[in-house]
Amino acid sequence: MIIQIFTILFERKNFFLDLLWQHIYISFTAVIIAAVIGLGIGIFIERFRCTSKIILSIVNFMYTIPSIALLGFLIPFSGIGNKTAIIALIIYAMLPMVRNTYIGLANVSPAILEASEGMGSTKWQTLFRIKFPLAFPVIFSGFRSMVTMTIALAGIASFIGAGGLGVAIYRGITTNNFVMTMAGSLLIALLAIFFDVILNFGEKLLTKRKKGKYLYNIIIGIVCIAILIKFIVPTFLVPVSNTIHIATKPMTEQYILGEMLKELIEHDTDLSVKLTSGVGGGTTNIQLGMESGKFDLYPEYTGTGWNQVLKEKGLYTEKLFEEMNKKYQKDFNMMWYGMYGFNNTYGLAVSKKIAEKYNLRTYSDLAAVSDKLIFGAEYDFFEREDGYDALSRTYHMNFSSTVDMDIGLKYQAMKDEKIDVMNIFTTDGQLTGADVTVLEDDLSFYPSYKAGNIVRVKTLETYPELKNVLLKLEGIITDSDMAEMNYKVETMKQEPGNVAHQFLLEHRFVEE
Amino acid sequence: MKDKIIFKDISKTYGNKEILKNINLKIEEGEFIAILGPSGCGKTTLLKLVNRLLTFDKGSILIDGKDILESNPVDLRRNIGYAIQGSILFPHMTIEQNISYVPSLLNGNDKKRTKMAVYKWLKIVGLDESLLERYPDELSGGQQQRVGIARALAASPDILLMDEPFSAVDEITRKNLQDEIIRIQKETGITILFVTHDVEEAMRLGTKILILNNGSIEQFDVPENILSNPASDFIKELIKYQ
Repeated sequence: MIIQIFTILFERKNFFLDLLWQHIYISFTAVIIAAVIGLGIGIFIERFRCTSKIILSIVNFMYTIPSIALLGFLIPFSGIGNKTAIIALIIYAMLPMVRNTYIGLANVSPAILEASEGMGSTKWQTLFRIKFPLAFPVIFSGFRSMVTMTIALAGIASFIGAGGLGVAIYRGITTNNFVMTMAGSLLIALLAIFFDVILNFGEKLLTKRKKGKYLYNIIIGIVCIAILIKFIVPTFLVPVSNTIHIATKPMTEQYILGEMLKELIEHDTDLSVKLTSGVGGGTTNIQLGMESGKFDLYPEYTGTGWNQVLKEKGLYTEKLFEEMNKKYQKDFNMMWYGMYGFNNTYGLAVSKKIAEKYNLRTYSDLAAVSDKLIFGAEYDFFEREDGYDALSRTYHMNFSSTVDMDIGLKYQAMKDEKIDVMNIFTTDGQLTGADVTVLEDDLSFYPSYKAGNIVRVKTLETYPELKNVLLKLEGIITDSDMAEMNYKVETMKQEPGNVAHQFLLEHRFVEE
Repeated sequence: MKDKIIFKDISKTYGNKEILKNINLKIEEGEFIAILGPSGCGKTTLLKLVNRLLTFDKGSILIDGKDILESNPVDLRRNIGYAIQGSILFPHMTIEQNISYVPSLLNGNDKKRTKMAVYKWLKIVGLDESLLERYPDELSGGQQQRVGIARALAASPDILLMDEPFSAVDEITRKNLQDEIIRIQKETGITILFVTHDVEEAMRLGTKILILNNGSIEQFDVPENILSNPASDFIKELIKYQ
């Protein structure tokens, strides 16, 4: 396990190094802003004591908001991405900062304060020359725990499309890559420990009096300058105008599609692509980013667009495509451009042996022999409104028995002949190499979920060269192509970028 | 001698408790006033009125003929030395920083002038220059008291307020410090108000002694007259072992 983690860290060091920098950038932006605001509030409530109770309660309350909920509240105001993540981190960082500043200042001995006042210090002089230095150890320990906490918490940033090591964790979770998740977690933990040790060392130097202070200043200075150079300078140097922002949902096939788009666009045009992979919350959050102009395009499924984005009731079929596309243009000034060909919908699969034995091709064929077969699915399929009962009713199916099982175990169960029929997604990676036949939904029980790109019309007008690239991929990926690529990522543990590259190579869209 | 500090009909109450009742007092320049009385008699309150750490309800206080309410409290305090119980030093500052605290508030960036004041006062209170880089907790109790006095005097004020400054040190050190403060007062001609509850200390230090009881002046006179001519039974009781 540990060896695997180090292997992945080493093999993909550029990927992780990049995430590490993003992580440091996000958490330190939050740390610096939170330190300034927190100090300010702490000083204020200590000076005007009557406000302290209410403000400390507010800060305490904010600290208890679950992070997912807080991000949810913030998204309508600040959109998705780094900004929202940083705001959320600042909100959480308030508690240790404000509380320790307040406690530190409030606990300075009154006799010392009276001495200072009696000698003719102004309120500010007492604050900066006496109170603050004496409160410093308490404030600094608050700062220290705030830094560690922020670094750890910054892992959630990826759930709303921000960068950082959380991206590795989240990508690991959504592509069934446990080692990647562990590697991301490990790096976050190491980063937090590293800065805690540095700050501990700094604290010792500072409380040691005399000397050392210079050394500490130098360390802080170097860290700040390094961060500045890394992040401020590139923003001035790189023209951001001709960058296409692509978002993808947290699903294996979307990671692959994102990489494929990025490579092909950068290969065929002079545009550069900024890819935000696996945005947490999927469609809902990406749609917000698209509306605000943060993202230019993302791969979506027709049925999802119809029901979830346009909020249309009723079953989507591809006959409705033109109507949907018009609505997208009218409501959002976006359009569907470039359909990949595959349809990631629900489906039913039977083992090849059974399919041959009864000559099964469609759901209706299956219904005819269903009383001789065992049906297996994860338990929520039996609960869902559009699940087992509705399916059986539509096709008059009557299976001899049903089995509840974990989604990950279905394929194994079918191989062991414990079940004969199971529900699937039509691009499941596990379909590849499995000895099963996917049947045709001849009565259109399930909505269609064809994959295509949603693009901002403005983006297409500004960069017309994008059109050719998107059309190149039209109709090129079949269900089984997509299932195979998913299989390579999920089971063979290949990188989405490599899998996408291989596919483009096979179709001679790019060269070695 | 001209009058340095004048109290006119000063009264002060906390809630409905009268702390000071109609205090009238004239203190001449260069006097060493020992303020004596039991706990709660109002002696510390009286002291803190002078540098406006506390406010009074009635009457007025004049310094050099000028009403103290007319001057800015911060400016007023910078011209009045202040040494409190245990002469509390700022623990995060070196001895040098402690002594130069008030001069640095006054002189701003004139570091040379501040430094000269520090050396001068260090010598006057009888401390070695090698202590300058140390921190308060590295000094003995007696040394800390001396630093406290040097700090109170560093800006060369012409009034010094002291509130039981020697209460936290042992008997021998206290005697030394008392000798020291008498010498300093003679050398500088500064006017000192010195609060104490120790009769012997008051007798030793004061050119005049102010005895307070329940917020009123029992007697204000030179030590000899107080001993030979106690104005009340309270004072007789107070000085009976002297």
